[in-house]
Amino acid sequence: MIAANNTSYLARIKPGWKFGVLLVLSIALYLINSWTVLLSLFILSVVLLLTARVNFKQIRLPLISLAVILSVVFILLGIQTDWLNALRSVLRLLTMCLLAYSVSLTTKFEAMLELFQQVASPVRFVGGNPAQIALALSMTIRFIPELKKVYVEVREAQHARGLANNPLAVTVPLVIRSLKIADETAEALDARGYDSEPAAFRR
Amino acid sequence: MSRNPSSSQTKNTVYIAVFAAMIAAMGLLPPITLGIIPVPITLQTLGVMLAGALLGPWRGAMSSLVVVVLAVAGLPLLSGGRGGLAVLLGPTGGYLVGWIFGSLVIGALFKYWVLRRTGNTARFLAGLASVIIGGIGVIYLCGVPWTSVATGIDFGTSLVGSAAFLPGDLFKAVVTTLVALTVHRSYRGLMS
Repeated sequence: MIAANNTSYLARIKPGWKFGVLLVLSIALYLINSWTVLLSLFILSVVLLLTARVNFKQIRLPLISLAVILSVVFILLGIQTDWLNALRSVLRLLTMCLLAYSVSLTTKFEAMLELFQQVASPVRFVGGNPAQIALALSMTIRFIPELKKVYVEVREAQHARGLANNPLAVTVPLVIRSLKIADETAEALDARGYDSEPAAFRR
Repeated sequence: MSRNPSSSQTKNTVYIAVFAAMIAAMGLLPPITLGIIPVPITLQTLGVMLAGALLGPWRGAMSSLVVVVLAVAGLPLLSGGRGGLAVLLGPTGGYLVGWIFGSLVIGALFKYWVLRRTGNTARFLAGLASVIIGGIGVIYLCGVPWTSVATGIDFGTSLVGSAAFLPGDLFKAVVTTLVALTVHRSYRGLMS
């Protein structure tokens, strides 16, 4: 779920602020018990999502699956406790998810990732290496299409042998080829003298 | 084995990235249907279990963490093309967090227990127990209370609800164990 050229007012707010507000509101939602307050917050989140000019095609499927889960929750809670309680629970979750959609759909993926890396940067005080984190994240994104291709190839090859639905026959070659790709990439990085240690630690 | 530290650090990072990509790829493809289990099985948690069983506790947990971070940041990597902040805040967010601890526990058990067993049967049983403890026990331990807190449904009902996934998860645990032991046999020193 990525902001595709969203130009609304929400897109101009810094990701850190949006994320912070979402976090605070999520906690607050669990502390609020009055259904009128919850209902008004829900209406507010709907307004927020509607005015954010998001692409509704992107959230159609997530909304459907959310609706299915929430109706199950509503019925279960209604029977087990009382219907007002069920309403509160459903409003809470709906509000939280709509707010989360509003943030996700108005924030560029790169901006979100950058925020996470900033949040994670204190790991260097406990011996972690932020450069390695950045490398792992960007390398994963680069490897996903390749691994998907390998997976499709292996499944097709095993399909030809009549083993397409045999998880063992599919997974073992997939894992072996993944390990080979990893070894080759590590060697290539070493051969090019990639040094991921931060400059300050170099002697 | 003596390697200079930056080289092995790079290698660790590459392994983490490749396995994270494998977990993601497993979620992108249509699920496998089996005759014995009615629900189609997505292989994504198989990837989570394998990352722990093959890479060990630290790198395994990091692989799962990378997938969770990328999905929460907005990539539609989770099965069914889900992604974004809502997957973490929603009622099933706990299972996602559980992946990280699940692969950590599986990795630790494999490294310090399973791979020190001798004899095929002992190894298989230890491996299966480890994957069940980490890949089902730990993941459900994070997911079930989370659902219960997020929705207000009581713990018991939440537990019963998660039981629908148990047959598929048990099946994946068996596959993980067989695959991991096969791969460890041909790729020695994967965890050293």
